[in-house]
Amino acid sequence: MSRSYLFIPGNTPSMIQNLDVFDSDVIIIDFEDSVTSYDKDSARTLIKNFLSKYSYDEVEIFVRINSYDSRYFHDDINALANLDISGYVLPKASVKGIRMLNKLSNKPIIPIVESPMALLLVEDIAKEKNVVALIFGAEDYTKELGIKRTLEATEILYARSIIAITANAYNIDAIDTPYTNKDDDKGLLLDATNALNLGFTSKASIHPNQIDIINQVFAPSLEEITEAKRIVKKSEETNKGAFSLDGKMIDLPIIEKAKKVLEKAKKYNL
Amino acid sequence: MGVKNQKIKVINHIDELFNQIDISSNRNISFHHHLRNGDYVINYVLDKYKKEKVQGINLFPSAIFPNYSSILDLIKNGQINNITTNYINGPVAEFITHNGLPGKLKMQTHGGRARAIIEGKSEIDIAFIAVPYVNHFGDAVGFLGPNKCGSLGYAIPDSIHAKIKVLVTDNLINIEIPNPEISGENIDYILLVDQIGDTQGIVSGTTEITKNPIGVKIAKNTSILLNELGLIKEGFSFQSGAGGVSLRVTKDVKDIMIKKNIKASFFSGGITKYHVEMLEEGLVEKLYDVQCFDLEAIESLKRNKMHLPISASRYANPENKDQVIKDLDIVILGATEIDYNFNVNVTTDSHQTLIGGSGGHSDTASESKVCIIVSPLIKGRIPVIKDRVTTITTLGKNIDCLVTERGIAINPLRKDLIKKLKNTKLKIYPIQELASIAYGFTNIPKDIVKRDKIIGEVEDRTYEIIDYIYQV
Amino acid sequence: MKASAGSLESSDCLITITKSNKLEIVIESVVLKQFGDQIKEVILNTLKDNNIAKMHVVCLDKGALDYTIKSRLETAIKRMGESHE
Repeated sequence: MSRSYLFIPGNTPSMIQNLDVFDSDVIIIDFEDSVTSYDKDSARTLIKNFLSKYSYDEVEIFVRINSYDSRYFHDDINALANLDISGYVLPKASVKGIRMLNKLSNKPIIPIVESPMALLLVEDIAKEKNVVALIFGAEDYTKELGIKRTLEATEILYARSIIAITANAYNIDAIDTPYTNKDDDKGLLLDATNALNLGFTSKASIHPNQIDIINQVFAPSLEEITEAKRIVKKSEETNKGAFSLDGKMIDLPIIEKAKKVLEKAKKYNL
Repeated sequence: MGVKNQKIKVINHIDELFNQIDISSNRNISFHHHLRNGDYVINYVLDKYKKEKVQGINLFPSAIFPNYSSILDLIKNGQINNITTNYINGPVAEFITHNGLPGKLKMQTHGGRARAIIEGKSEIDIAFIAVPYVNHFGDAVGFLGPNKCGSLGYAIPDSIHAKIKVLVTDNLINIEIPNPEISGENIDYILLVDQIGDTQGIVSGTTEITKNPIGVKIAKNTSILLNELGLIKEGFSFQSGAGGVSLRVTKDVKDIMIKKNIKASFFSGGITKYHVEMLEEGLVEKLYDVQCFDLEAIESLKRNKMHLPISASRYANPENKDQVIKDLDIVILGATEIDYNFNVNVTTDSHQTLIGGSGGHSDTASESKVCIIVSPLIKGRIPVIKDRVTTITTLGKNIDCLVTERGIAINPLRKDLIKKLKNTKLKIYPIQELASIAYGFTNIPKDIVKRDKIIGEVEDRTYEIIDYIYQV
Repeated sequence: MKASAGSLESSDCLITITKSNKLEIVIESVVLKQFGDQIKEVILNTLKDNNIAKMHVVCLDKGALDYTIKSRLETAIKRMGESHE
């Protein structure tokens, strides 16, 4: 349901205390790549004190913890145990990692699919308990494959497709990989639109200035909202599982989708 | 004097000038700041005053920049009595903050300075006017020559109304200058120097669009606000400073204009490459330029007919019937502090140190239909909103909106704006409530303002003294 | 015995603690006049919560909010404890 997921470094107070002004639907506080090993403890304490003092209604907060096979995993989870967070983002997605996390917590999990193996097993990952979305991590994925990323992104087309299809099949959110050139708005718009057209519901980002464009791309358009309103209205009037509208057959999946569009529109004041 | 196309007396060295003029009975002297931090003329001329031990100088520079170190020497030597200026920053500002002057510091506005000079309230004896391109008749422009500085707007009143007008140049030419900014008929001397300044020094650090996410958010809120107020419409006029957030607002406004196919009538004030871009893209009809903030703006004066240099009086003198800013719809301005009465301070910082001044702040706020202050709600743990600003630069009655990253406050005097925003999704709060949002993060800072010894005053364009400046 | 945490970035602070036989708090801050007392109070309370009566604390502050000052001091205290073992 969310359009944008913004990573912010977990040990940087200037970003943390402004997490609600960036207009991202979800904030992912990062304990992993953006925090040096020396400062992992520092970030945990900072976030613990921050979230104990401030709470937010308008933005969901997830935390990207370190992967299950790192020495920080347990400390990360312990530090977050009693805090009001929506869930965890788990890097280096694997069934084993998700199960370990599920043993320690019952909160929603968003795994990052960022290796060829994870991609092969993406359906198993999506089926695990508490998994509410999948993030595609193209940087690590292409690194592991030993290939270069290009503007056209043909090298990640297959991976993107599989992830979007899988998430859709299991009715969870599909979150596209961040667009790494933070100063290229046109490139971002194209990249996000491509992801949308492949079936992604949202996009992750590592820079606040990208959120506006991402929100625009992944929000339902005015035409979509109007169409959805008509479908839902007619379905309520006819009270039938299937009917025709403007000569097109409308069945249950289409009605459900229209409802989702309206929910999203309502959530984001569109 | 007062004759067109008459050759002006050329002086080869300042010593010679000092022989011709009775310096000690002409102690009110003025300079302009168009070369900004790249100016060499002020230091060159004042070094002579230092050497000659001239006492009781009253200085009228349109602004004082960090590089104007000779002013500091003269103050320390006790040679300067009063300073009247529109903006003051750097070592001179710091020294005056802590020591004051034998006389006083008077802070004017750009329009107020022009008005006071024209009306004879500020009596200038000698105007030293740096000009990068001047002919033997004393006609001059600012946008040509090896050390060009763009519009000479702030120097025009001085060039007409000072008792003795001295053009200082490193580039005396022999050809006619069509449409000169400075008209030679008023000029008394041309003083030749090696170099009037360094063009590169006019670019200040603040003339780039901000990429800071907080700044971007403030700009976004501002452009949405402008749009919802219905202000971005065919033929509207607009002014924004050269601060990073103001420029970002300009960019966001531009995006809206393109989307809605809207053309503006004019932009005014300090001009940057972004304004020039919009002129050349046909998004705005005219640029009224009182000051160039970057080299691209200077170059544009050469090639764009609708990029017009204007005098400070035409720009912002309330008594000038052709005053440009009286037709201004929107102005975007900054603030170091704003208070519950919407008074704005851009003169002193949170330690009460002089760091700026009105420039055109109060002028444009007073004249424009809507004046918007853009600022982060919190700057390094100091909330921008106070119950009373340290120094009033612009009266609250002239300020309409405050836009921060966390919300917007509308001056309760502007019931019309509040009414228009009845159904907005923007976060609009009473200013006190916006302040308490800030305090929720920072807690309430201790009031450290000292108001014991007055060292100066803030004179509005109306000549009203609206606040005093105190020694720290 | 010495430990530190934090940074000199804007909105952060760098806290360094050294074992001492008395309580000493040194604060350098861009907002010392406005918030010096408040910063000191946060440091004193945090020390008290950690049952520390004697310590040399240096706080170089760049406009950090209370939660950050508290966090940096807590991390420094923890780091000192760990290096002790």
